[in-house]
Amino acid sequence: MTELQTYLTLGIFIAVILAIAFDIIDMVVAALLGVCLMMLFEILSGKEILDAMRTAGGPLSLLFGGMVVVRVLAKTGIFESLGNRFLHATRGSGKRYLLLLLLLIGPVCAFLPNATTVILVAPLIIRVARALEVDFVGPMIIAAVISNSAGLLTLVGDPATFLVGSSIGMTFGKYLRQVSLGGLLAMLVIVPLLPRLMPDIWNVRRVLSATKPVVASNRPGFVVLALGVLLLMIVLFVIGEDLPGRIVPPEVAIIAATLALLVVYGMRVEPLEDVIRDIDWKSLLFIAAIFCLVEGFVKTGLLQGLALKLSEWFGTRFTLVALTLLAGIGMLSSLLANVPVVAASLVLTKGYLVAVQAVPETALAAGFSDWPTTAVPVFIAMMFGGTLGGNATLIGASANIVSAGICAREGSRVTFGRFLRIGLPITLCQLAVSSLYILALFWLRR
Amino acid sequence: MKHGRFISFLMICHLSLVALSLTAQAGETLNAVKAHGRLRCGVSEGIAGFSERDASGRWIGFDVDFCRAVAAAGLGDAEKVVFVPLKASERFPALEGGTIDLLLRNTTWTLGREAGLKVQFTGILFYDGQAFMVRKATGVKKVENLTGATVCVEKGTTHVQNLVDYFGARGMQVTPLILDSTAAIASAFFTGRCRAYTSDSSQLAAVRLLAPDGPESFEILPERISKEPLGAVVRQDDDEWFTLVRWVLFALIDAEEAGITRDNIAAVLRETHDPALRRAFGEGGSGKTLGVSGSWAARAVKAVGNYGEMFERNVGKGGALKLDRGLNRLWTQGGLLYAPPLR
Repeated sequence: MTELQTYLTLGIFIAVILAIAFDIIDMVVAALLGVCLMMLFEILSGKEILDAMRTAGGPLSLLFGGMVVVRVLAKTGIFESLGNRFLHATRGSGKRYLLLLLLLIGPVCAFLPNATTVILVAPLIIRVARALEVDFVGPMIIAAVISNSAGLLTLVGDPATFLVGSSIGMTFGKYLRQVSLGGLLAMLVIVPLLPRLMPDIWNVRRVLSATKPVVASNRPGFVVLALGVLLLMIVLFVIGEDLPGRIVPPEVAIIAATLALLVVYGMRVEPLEDVIRDIDWKSLLFIAAIFCLVEGFVKTGLLQGLALKLSEWFGTRFTLVALTLLAGIGMLSSLLANVPVVAASLVLTKGYLVAVQAVPETALAAGFSDWPTTAVPVFIAMMFGGTLGGNATLIGASANIVSAGICAREGSRVTFGRFLRIGLPITLCQLAVSSLYILALFWLRR
Repeated sequence: MKHGRFISFLMICHLSLVALSLTAQAGETLNAVKAHGRLRCGVSEGIAGFSERDASGRWIGFDVDFCRAVAAAGLGDAEKVVFVPLKASERFPALEGGTIDLLLRNTTWTLGREAGLKVQFTGILFYDGQAFMVRKATGVKKVENLTGATVCVEKGTTHVQNLVDYFGARGMQVTPLILDSTAAIASAFFTGRCRAYTSDSSQLAAVRLLAPDGPESFEILPERISKEPLGAVVRQDDDEWFTLVRWVLFALIDAEEAGITRDNIAAVLRETHDPALRRAFGEGGSGKTLGVSGSWAARAVKAVGNYGEMFERNVGKGGALKLDRGLNRLWTQGGLLYAPPLR
């Protein structure tokens, strides 16, 4: 990439973000225009667009699958039923409503893909918000933030944690011992912020009227089959990768979507066109375009090229490197999809550790796992930055975009600024707590 | 209305850019090198004969000359090179991170590096082997005399493993003293912290020149415990760049084989009746297929001479190291240098 192309890439990126942030044009159009400009300036070739699509394929499959399954389940009346239970559990308190969101989404997102979980729980959140007569946009943003943060709880909770963990040979158990506590702290830090960020909801007290009995679908066969598809999807998300014929989460989502459509078609519930039309194509298109833009950014090599600079600036002071990466990756992930950012940062971090001779050059090759214990917190800092940074802005994570998409379909548009007002303070607090956690890890390894 | 005008403006800009759409060009690295108008070459921090600064601060050496030959072929100007001095441990992160376009730092071609580090060696630029240097006064004449000795070796190189493997396979004890840089090792070795220093024989010859009590006080033992084929390295997945660098090496070797030198190339091309030679080194050469302009091979030879000239000037009789060509002779003279034809 030439110097001019590097500047153009940064310029295009900033222009797209500003266009979205200041609501100058529709965010999908802004992102697509950015992609077109990158193609025209030869920043992205056809092959690189396909590479970006390959990277985006996983998240897009997860979202598409989740959207189809939820759309089909909506016809069963299950969300009304669960919504009533959820509403009952809140006892009319906004405070309980928000805290229950944390309890509901946190454990689920530790194992299931974040954005898919948001799609699954969105009908409940909106239903309860309406019953409590509060705006559902805040809780939907919080749901996205919780889902992103909960991805830190397990190695498989977020693509970024999995990418970093697997590339340094970290096992599921080792992750639980070294990282999960930090993830939990990052989630708990949201609690004291809720009354300040959403006082209108936190202070709400409503007397709940007797809930109307749910009118379940008059086709019990359809209900059983649709719930069966959901159950299969969840089970395969959890154990699919351990099966002899490994099924990865995006494949699970596609299988579940196909089965759900088969149920609708086979049982003549409604025309398939209606289901397909209700998919949030706009969010899917936006995410695909963002992945292309990030591909262009990563191609500038700005991140990867910092390896020798880190070695020059910090030498072997790993603590400083870890905190710098936490802040830097956190900031980048707030504006870019975290998977490509984390992938580029891995190259940077491994290169840095080789350059300062903490590990041999073979560490640059795939499969190296003999990392010194003092260097592991550097990688953990990357996980925190990559996962939590996405909470800051509307475009920081797929779950955020999907959440905003759902709100828009329900009649409430989520602007960049509105998301930022909730997401940014939470992210800053989470990154601060994570910094302390990383410092504690270094201290324990002295 | 204002909003509509803005959208119209965007559409016009968009369509204008479509009209300006450019055609695809050569590989990523070559494109970048051309666009920046300079080649970034990763070299050592200072190894006599290979890459070091002379008194005037100008980079000289065998590796340096090869970089210049590539710049001459690719950019048409041998001086458009930025030399990036690197420690051994920094070379692959620098290449992978895009800090340099080409790595020439006494780097040994191994399976582990090519398969594991996502790099490609463009060919063997220098056939070397790992040897041992000792102080003559110690009376050590063979490697086996070093049993139980402390041996200095540079961190982040293939030499560490070779040393351990060689002694281990023969049931001999050795204590490696692993240090960060050539300078640190030279200091440790000359001050007697280790009995021997092991590295590529060419590098030992270079370090020997720095001995405070003169190079004649030190001896390089005759055994070579490993093959160390040194070469230029590029990133994987950039075939165009890889091909250009590889064929610059072949062109320098072919030039020597054809008797073409820096001084006579113009006359030879003017007077020769051999169309193959004209095609190879003349204007009608294969530049277009390599993504560079016409007489790229001639430019490389004009810049640094043929392979033999480059060798003798830097590490052979004309240089300080006075190394014998050894395996680095042409295949026609009993060496291993054999280049495919430039056609």
